[in-house]
Amino acid sequence: MDTRTENVSLEDLQKIVGEEHAREATDEDAVDGVMPQFVAEPGSVEETSELMKLANDGGLTVAPRGSGTKMGLGNPPRDLDLIVSTVRMNEIIEHVPGDQVVRVQAGVRLDDLQVQLATEDQMLAVEPPERGAGATIGGIVAANSSGPLRYRYGTIRDLIIGITVVLPDGTIAKAGGKVVKNVAGYDLGKLFTGSLGTLGIIATCNFRLHPRPEAGQTVAVELGDTLSAGQAAQAMVHAQLVASAVELHWSEDHKLLTVLIEGIPPGVEDQVETASYLLKGFGDVRTLSDEEVKYLGPLDPPRVGDEDVAIKIAHPPVELTGVLDSILGATERRGVTPRITGHAGTGITYVALSGGDEIARVQAVDELREIWVRRGGSVVVQKAPVQAKKMLEAWGPAGDYLGLTRRMKDKFDPRGILNPGRFVGGI
Amino acid sequence: MEREQLIRTMESILGTEGVVHEREQLRSYECDGLMNYRVVPDLVVLPETAEHVQRIVRTCYEEGIPFVARGSGTGLSGGALPVESGLLIVMSRMRKILEVDIPNQRIVVEPGVINVWVSQEVADEGYYYAPDPASQVVSSIGGNLAENSGGVHCLKYGFTTNHVMGAEVVLADGSVVHIGGGKAPDAPGYELLGSFVGSEGTLGIATKITLRLSRKPESVRTLLAAFEDTEEAGGAVSGIIGGGIVPAAIEMMDALCIEAVETAVHPGFPQAGAILIVELDGPEAEVAKQFDQVIEVCEENNASEIRIAEDDAERALFWKGRKAAFAAMGRIANDYYVQDSVVPRTELGNVLKRISELGKEYEMRVANVFHAGDGNLHPLVLYDNDNPGEAEKAEELAGEIVLACLEHGGSLTGEHGIGVDKKKFMPKMFTDDDMNTMQLLRCAFDPHGLSNPGKIFPTPRLCGERPGPFHMHPIQQAGLAENF
Amino acid sequence: MTEQDRPNPRQTGNRYDATQGTERRNDQAGTTREQAMAGAVGAGSPQDVGQDTFSATTESLQHTMGHDRPESGSYTFPAFDSHHPPEKDLIDDCVHCGFCLPTCPTYVLFGEEMDSPRGRIYLMNKGLTEEPMNDTMVRHWDLCLGCMACVTACPSGVQYDKLIEATRAQVERRYERRADDKAFREMIFQLFPYRKRLRLAAGPLRLYQRFGIGDKLKKAGVMSRLPARMRAMEALMPALQKEERIPEYTSPTGERRKRVGVLTGCVQQVFFSQVNSATIRVLAAEGCEVVAPKDQGCCGALSTHAGREEESLNFARKTIETFERENLDNVIVNAAGCGSTMKEYAYLLRDDPEYAERAKKFSSKVKDVSEFLQEIGTVAERHPLPLSAAYHDACHLAHQQGVRTQPRKTLKQIPGMEVREIKEAEVCCGSAGIYNMVEPEPAAELGERKAKNVLKTGAQMIVTSNPGCILQIQASLKKMGHDIPMAHPMEVLDASIRGEPVESLFR
Repeated sequence: MDTRTENVSLEDLQKIVGEEHAREATDEDAVDGVMPQFVAEPGSVEETSELMKLANDGGLTVAPRGSGTKMGLGNPPRDLDLIVSTVRMNEIIEHVPGDQVVRVQAGVRLDDLQVQLATEDQMLAVEPPERGAGATIGGIVAANSSGPLRYRYGTIRDLIIGITVVLPDGTIAKAGGKVVKNVAGYDLGKLFTGSLGTLGIIATCNFRLHPRPEAGQTVAVELGDTLSAGQAAQAMVHAQLVASAVELHWSEDHKLLTVLIEGIPPGVEDQVETASYLLKGFGDVRTLSDEEVKYLGPLDPPRVGDEDVAIKIAHPPVELTGVLDSILGATERRGVTPRITGHAGTGITYVALSGGDEIARVQAVDELREIWVRRGGSVVVQKAPVQAKKMLEAWGPAGDYLGLTRRMKDKFDPRGILNPGRFVGGI
Repeated sequence: MEREQLIRTMESILGTEGVVHEREQLRSYECDGLMNYRVVPDLVVLPETAEHVQRIVRTCYEEGIPFVARGSGTGLSGGALPVESGLLIVMSRMRKILEVDIPNQRIVVEPGVINVWVSQEVADEGYYYAPDPASQVVSSIGGNLAENSGGVHCLKYGFTTNHVMGAEVVLADGSVVHIGGGKAPDAPGYELLGSFVGSEGTLGIATKITLRLSRKPESVRTLLAAFEDTEEAGGAVSGIIGGGIVPAAIEMMDALCIEAVETAVHPGFPQAGAILIVELDGPEAEVAKQFDQVIEVCEENNASEIRIAEDDAERALFWKGRKAAFAAMGRIANDYYVQDSVVPRTELGNVLKRISELGKEYEMRVANVFHAGDGNLHPLVLYDNDNPGEAEKAEELAGEIVLACLEHGGSLTGEHGIGVDKKKFMPKMFTDDDMNTMQLLRCAFDPHGLSNPGKIFPTPRLCGERPGPFHMHPIQQAGLAENF
Repeated sequence: MTEQDRPNPRQTGNRYDATQGTERRNDQAGTTREQAMAGAVGAGSPQDVGQDTFSATTESLQHTMGHDRPESGSYTFPAFDSHHPPEKDLIDDCVHCGFCLPTCPTYVLFGEEMDSPRGRIYLMNKGLTEEPMNDTMVRHWDLCLGCMACVTACPSGVQYDKLIEATRAQVERRYERRADDKAFREMIFQLFPYRKRLRLAAGPLRLYQRFGIGDKLKKAGVMSRLPARMRAMEALMPALQKEERIPEYTSPTGERRKRVGVLTGCVQQVFFSQVNSATIRVLAAEGCEVVAPKDQGCCGALSTHAGREEESLNFARKTIETFERENLDNVIVNAAGCGSTMKEYAYLLRDDPEYAERAKKFSSKVKDVSEFLQEIGTVAERHPLPLSAAYHDACHLAHQQGVRTQPRKTLKQIPGMEVREIKEAEVCCGSAGIYNMVEPEPAAELGERKAKNVLKTGAQMIVTSNPGCILQIQASLKKMGHDIPMAHPMEVLDASIRGEPVESLFR
């Protein structure tokens, strides 16, 4: 038995969150094969604070969790004693339609939030693939997950306007506010975006909202080769279209570039026509039916088998053709099958690698990482079997900012209790 | 290090032409765009390269000398106010556009490059740089980064932070880091760039900045609507936003402001209690339909006159009037004190009423110009410095206005920054815990608090670190800071 | 390091050369960039912004820091006395917004606060009570070209022109320049305002270069400062042409619409008498009875801009007297610097009980020739001139008199004439009265910068309304190995009205 957890008992946890909200962990709670001791579900910011203080004083390592859709992200934890789940913190605190602003607790599911916002014809303009699996706001912010809509609206970092966090020592701190425009104090909301629970636990978030588009249509072009994929994407990016998404779908079944046009009906019609005209030179163009759109996306790279390795390549947008070529080259030679999707307009390409043996898949990732890091991008493992992860290191090399990153971690979590080992550089 | 020795050290880095040390010359740097606070810097240095900056900062670190970076010196919160016995690092000689990369929609610039140069540089390619603070003809990109500048179009297109993709930053210890992905998105690790932008120069000095370029919209339409008072204009704002329209810009000016602007740049604004400038942009068909909607809403809210910009020249004139608003105050008052608070849009009416009451109470004129779409108010308290006590009274009134905004769920500042001017109000918006947590961020970037000390936070704190060559912090020595 | 030695800051990829694209399009239509900017979202007002990479050389940078400048050690405290100091009220109009910075030539060059209008005004304010008049303060005021681009850019309406003139008058009275500096300035003011002396001097100046007198002096170790200035002065001297005789009275063609006087000027008449002849022919063709008083002298512009108060007022009084006698509708000026000063007589002579009212009346009659022509409308027939010309705004016309559209319109009214805009039109060419002689280094850099922008237009000739600008730009172009014909708008218009061929302008 771990000595640390001798300091803290299940009862101690239950005292804080209530008997029914703390329990011994089960196999389901393991993170990359590492079994925690307990799971606690605080019902408020204050309870979260007390939990953290307890864990910090007792030296318990903690992994924050929402719906658990992204627990495979990052390296396997070095240690894990306690999972702090935000599922009970699921209140939509305030939605003022006139201000186009919403305040929510971290455990609110994005899907639930969207339903609520839709009653006022508004939306939180983010659509990550794991949304359908019940992804929570806190998890989306912590993982900085994004979807096709980032082409138009940016990522969650561009939408977050305020945050409340609980630090390892139990400090409850907020930053930002509930107004869209605000430069008072440091922007902790951005710092915590994508920090993967290594700095503190996200308790509440404030977002700016957008009106829901009245109409939308997706135009698709059938691509012949990787060159036309790159060129078609460039054609869309440099046109005066206001597309919501420019997506790539590349597998054995279909090779498509899709463009989502949204807005008010006359504008949509006009733009669909323009997009179709501009794409004609790259292959057959058609507008997609709702079923097809649904089938295509937002395509989830982890729509993969347990053995598959899913990666995210971030690259200069103009390099799309090169990225595709490098993927096809790296996989073909090793008998690995790639399934590729991507935000073609913004320079994000997801690849799910299946087939071949594990070493081949790992080597393919290594090769791609070598190329794209050198060219100013990054290759991050999104999901992989633990064995593969141990060979790969999920994040790849961090730049000259790694020292600064470590200092940040040391300041916020001096005892290193939050998600140890899962983040960049073994943080 | 003795001053004379420091001068020689700096001259060895920059040449004699890069070091300003005579008292009279230094005095011209004693304040930025905000003249209420003045401190003569010990020395002003004008680096021309990132390496210069690095060597300057390294020297500061080794000698424990605080430094402040300054761009064009147009900030309105005293963010570039020098510190006593500190160095002022002026970036105005680092003004090269390093790379234009249209295919990736990026431009790489040095920090001294002026905001509007970026748009000018890529205009012929059909691109522009979206953040357009009113000071865009003079303010530098480095300064924009420090302040997270907004502008009239940020409601739809976001702020500087949404358009900065990467930065090379010299940290307070003289080390160089490259943060943000630059041309590729989503660099692994913490959002250091998002933390850096808007940190008012307290986290380091950006020496190379990658910006995102935006495609010019297919169609832009602008109108100017006159109303009897700000309340009716406010009604129109609510109507427009409530109708699901996200205007590219929606700006309001009150009667006093209209008067000043009219005197200064003669845009030919109608005489009215309030005017709105509404700009829509985007796909032609969409803009056309929504523009009609906007006109309808204005009419419903009793607009006395609606003018539609017929061409670029007229549109430019509307904007010239708006963008000159602050500076134009010089025409109707000797001095003014500008506020930059924000309120939720739905609270605009209540807050404007309160401002008007406060003005009457203090018997002072308050002109209002603001970004109505995002609730960012710029009340301008007019006064005359020659009348004893008026400056203090104006500042007090401005403070009352800030507090009123906070009471209505707003913020201290929307785009000008906290600087020295509003730091005393920080505790009204944030708890000690909030600010101490923010300080953790500061401590990671600049453990010794050398970079622009004394800004943002009411009580600067140090991070309790003591590396080898480091001496007693001058700020601490002076009793201006305590250990953290 | 010179501009050419510097690495090209723009690393445009081979895939896409944005810079070339920009230049090319600019060549085709000078205003593309501005129009495009206006097309950007809420573009505001980019028209007055200088835009280029930093290009001052170490040599001129040292200049602003005070190296190798004639320092005298003179010190008086406070800087200003009570006789017309820069007015506190005018200083207070400055809200320190900084909008003037990017249009100020010295700020563009040096990037320093104290060499910007905002910084200079700040120093003036300090000089009222807190700081002395000494080498440092004077250095930064001296470096001002007086181009008044800041006046155009200022949204608060700061009257920088009045401030700097007041400051300069105080400097001339209260600051003891070093002997050689003083001698050089004195020489200029004993020379330029007087036609006869100027005619005599133009010859020896050329001899000076031919016999390498400057080099000999340098070798001898004397006059360490003078040679650079003398060389600058010499480089500006154009080939002396035969001076055209200007008739004292010229009758109008057709019906008389106006009776106008013409200032023939000093430099204008000695070096560019053909401009005066052209101006008079154009005015006559447009129905004006033209008087060019024989006994007219210098208008005092150079002295005014340099702060030589008494001298300038005497010139002003004499000029008023000369033209008053003729009972004129208007007094027409074809030199930008002269026009701006003559329009200012009312202010300059505000304290003179005998002249205050007369000056007001006089100033109200003063018009730049293009301004005047646009006001009265044209009657004379214009013959086609198939010609592309870059129009250069003379600072004292554009910024101080606000005359920008009229000369362009005047040119555009000529069939076949294409008027091209010069990038950074608002930034001074470095001529600025006597500036290019007393501050040769920064002036040379500004001249080169202007010349480069002029070359980018690809125009066949350059048209501008000020003799100083013509001398300066021509000298800069020559230094860079280019020779582009230059003319005053009146010469072009005269050729058109008379039906002369384009080539007549390319002499």
